Amino acid sequence: MMKKNALLLSMIVVLSACGGSGSQGKAPEVVSPPVVIVMPGQPDDGLAPLSATTPDPKEHLAGGEVTTQVINQDAFSQSAPAIRSNFELDGVFKSGDHLFRGVHVGQGPLFNNPTCQGCHIKDGRGEVPSSPDEAMTSMFLRISDGQGNPDLIYGDQIQTFGMKEGQSQGLLPKHGGAIDEGIAYGEAYAWVEYQTIAGQFDDGQTYQLRKPIYKVKDLAYGDFNPDVRLSPRVTPSIFGSGLLHAIPEASITSYADPDDIDGDGISGRAVFVTEPISGQQKLARFGYKALTTSVLEQISGAYRGDMGITNIVAPQESCTSEQTACIAQAQLEQDKEQDGLDLSVLGLAQVEFYNRLLAVPVRRGFDSANQTWQADVVAGRALFFAAQCASCHIPRHKTGEAEASLLGDAGLLEVAPSHTPIAALSNQVIYPYTDLLLHDMGGSCATIERETAQGEACTQGAQCYWVQRCEGLADDRPEGSASGTEWRTPPLWGLGLVNTVNARATYLHDGRARNISEAILWHGGEAEKAKAQFKAMSANERQQLLTFLTSL
Amino acid sequence: MNTIKNIALSFVAAAVLAGCGGDDGKDGIAGAQGVAGQNGANGTSVFVTTQDVIKTNAQHAYAVYADSLIAAKALKEQLAIFVANPSDESFSLAKKAWLAAREPYGQSEVFRFREGPIDNLTQDAAGNWVLAPEAGPEGAINAWPLAEALIDYTQDMDGLQNPENPSTLPAGGNIIADIDSFPVIDKATIQAQFERGDDEANVTSGYHAIEFLLWGQDLNADGTYTANRDYSAGYRKASDFYTVGNQMGQCTSGEAGAANVICIRRSQYLLAAADLLIDDLKSVVDAWTPGTGFHYQAFIKEETQKQSLAKILEGMGRLSYGELAGERMSIALRTDSQEDEHSCFSDNTHRDIFLNAKGIQNTFNGQYVRFDGEVLQGASIYNLLVVAGKPELANKLRGALEDTMAKAAVIDTTAKLGYSFDVQIQQPELKGAVTNTIEALKTQTQVIKEVIEALGVTTGDLEGDTDEFGG
Repeated sequence: MMKKNALLLSMIVVLSACGGSGSQGKAPEVVSPPVVIVMPGQPDDGLAPLSATTPDPKEHLAGGEVTTQVINQDAFSQSAPAIRSNFELDGVFKSGDHLFRGVHVGQGPLFNNPTCQGCHIKDGRGEVPSSPDEAMTSMFLRISDGQGNPDLIYGDQIQTFGMKEGQSQGLLPKHGGAIDEGIAYGEAYAWVEYQTIAGQFDDGQTYQLRKPIYKVKDLAYGDFNPDVRLSPRVTPSIFGSGLLHAIPEASITSYADPDDIDGDGISGRAVFVTEPISGQQKLARFGYKALTTSVLEQISGAYRGDMGITNIVAPQESCTSEQTACIAQAQLEQDKEQDGLDLSVLGLAQVEFYNRLLAVPVRRGFDSANQTWQADVVAGRALFFAAQCASCHIPRHKTGEAEASLLGDAGLLEVAPSHTPIAALSNQVIYPYTDLLLHDMGGSCATIERETAQGEACTQGAQCYWVQRCEGLADDRPEGSASGTEWRTPPLWGLGLVNTVNARATYLHDGRARNISEAILWHGGEAEKAKAQFKAMSANERQQLLTFLTSL
Repeated sequence: MNTIKNIALSFVAAAVLAGCGGDDGKDGIAGAQGVAGQNGANGTSVFVTTQDVIKTNAQHAYAVYADSLIAAKALKEQLAIFVANPSDESFSLAKKAWLAAREPYGQSEVFRFREGPIDNLTQDAAGNWVLAPEAGPEGAINAWPLAEALIDYTQDMDGLQNPENPSTLPAGGNIIADIDSFPVIDKATIQAQFERGDDEANVTSGYHAIEFLLWGQDLNADGTYTANRDYSAGYRKASDFYTVGNQMGQCTSGEAGAANVICIRRSQYLLAAADLLIDDLKSVVDAWTPGTGFHYQAFIKEETQKQSLAKILEGMGRLSYGELAGERMSIALRTDSQEDEHSCFSDNTHRDIFLNAKGIQNTFNGQYVRFDGEVLQGASIYNLLVVAGKPELANKLRGALEDTMAKAAVIDTTAKLGYSFDVQIQQPELKGAVTNTIEALKTQTQVIKEVIEALGVTTGDLEGDTDEFGG
């Protein structure tokens, strides 16, 4: 860890029971057992502290041995090299890839996209539709009431598409359609409009940001709850998730600092939830708001929620009890793959394996023949540390033993009851640039309004939209243990290849940032100081920082 | 080199074989070492080196891709004849030419999964042909499943024939119908729309795009689509290619009549896709051309012979298990979905399976029977194992491969008797043949691993340092 200079000193501060503040140099007379406070940021991983100025010798291998040399459009779609020559594991990966790309019988009735790959475009990020006339297909809005409970009618996510017997194209939402006609239309139509915000760096260089305004219309199943909250989400990349899953919990919690003991203004918070199947309390490390514990939990939820494909972890169709048209349509679905579920355990296990074994692209800017980095990359890296970006975007972790799938070992035709840890992912030194903890990123939202297209207040009808306006990154929607301003730090590895993989992809949780610089400028809350340092940099320093980030 | 003539090619291949060091198992002056080649006696090699094996493999790669190229050119000729005069006869000949073109190509797939030209060939900024990970033409040549609704009209079937992402469809519905977005249909248009919207199902080129334009969707014989499939393949009408120009009659798009321009565009698409296929195959042939091909030269280098041998065995293993037993067979069997069937429009999947397996056997035996019947026989991995003192293992793998071929032959024969692969994966009494083939492929993969071990070509030879070979 690299919190300024202090961290290079011993970090165990022993405070006497009377407190060690501003003493007058006298030793306290009453001696109680000392309270030992471990300062945050010291994982027990046996690695020497990371230098702010000199990259590690193997730092270009962002995923350790799970690094791919492919840096073209397929950079996010490669398997870990170690399994390429293991024919059985290569086979499981390949089958998982096929299922990830393919459509499934039994999809729907409600869905955002018929395939995994349709959202995770080329295994990378989704995109914001290019105009309000295009339905969202690789992003969606989460929905809840003010406490974060699911909306009674719409559940916890707005599915854009529905289904109708004899018609396979996704059915777009229609105002009141599901109620009036009993047809499982898509739930509601959401779109985004941008306002331009102007700002400038300290050196006078100006910039513009896109401030999003989210609007929803065509509610097919009735009105939202009166205290509705919405949270837009663009599909994130998934490569490297198996490595993130294999970081020991203790390493991650070592960075947690909920009470800001070290006074750096940054207080990462770890969240523990009950893992499905095992029933154990585990660290929630996946999802924009740190909601799920594992790749398996994440994909099974996506299958059900995003694609309408039931599975052993998420066996219920995503209709709520209020959505009778959806329930009726679900009952017409006779074509189940296994045990009344749309997706077999084998299929789920293969897709889980595929997700976990997707490799991380090698860093660019490193000359492996001479073992040297481009000067600007090293300079930008030092600036990244100096600006305290690395306080949350923790550069380096070491994985422990990567546990086996809870479902068992997937083969080609069956899942074996054995549980073999995944050696390829175990004990790897990796550079994901995340602490996987929740941070308050600031901002706030106005109450969601009902408005017409002209912006006039209204109360009902097809022309009366729901409109969400927020300041900063906040979504005002509590989720799990996260508040409406908290977000889990996303990993930064692969950042510089996002647009290589998908030229239309943009940045941040809702894709509002058109480039990396804009993404930094949206940081607030605990990251306000870091952002201020970015704004205070010279044009050359900013360029160096961006060169470094692009090399990730 | 514009056109490779069959005859010329045979000469080239023969010349090539004569030029290799080592023993091709042929007697006398036709043997590898010319008059000095005394070791070769009736196909039994007395002394074979790794170098001989990789040279044989490289020459056979050239031969199988050259055959694929020749067959693709023959296909193009038949397609040109067909669109000029779309009779039932010329339509039938065009489809036969497509099926014939699949025969060599199916046997070439053992040359995948080994960082070779098919997977990695591309042009660098200066226009030189180089290998770069995952940059090769394989997808453009052979990608599937294919979201056919992007190319031409479709009849809605089971909800599984759609693009992954409706937003990636052109405004006008499909490329052939959307004259506004695609005023010109040529190679460039087809290439530009490949994986349109970064949707990997949006396959616009290659064998399967041509297959769709010849057969159409695989509906039942009565033109409907139900969950219970029948034996019939796709049945596109020749009238889909009728134009004012060829004076055959009214242009159609399936059951519906269509404007003349649609049939013209459909014909243009068919020919342009064939041209593109020829271009892509030719680039692979060039890379493998003995003597001049840059990859041929790199592959047969003495100093990297162990790596080359490792690549051969890796390709065999990965095709056996992950690609063939896994993606091409087990998923189709489990999901019972035509979408997961390799050549779904023509119902030719039984040949894909048989030929893929055959390619693996070819490689092990150092043998390839060319499309014109010529038998190429050179130094084999079998020989190498014998020379290395592992005759039992040599026979074990030979037996495993023969067992697979026997099992795959059941799928092939059953299909020829009228139960195509998509029916076999549906009917309980026929599924056994598919499962048996999968199990045989799994078994042969285990033996391939033993061979890798025995020949001392570890994965380390292949991967090297992750810095060099990762990914």
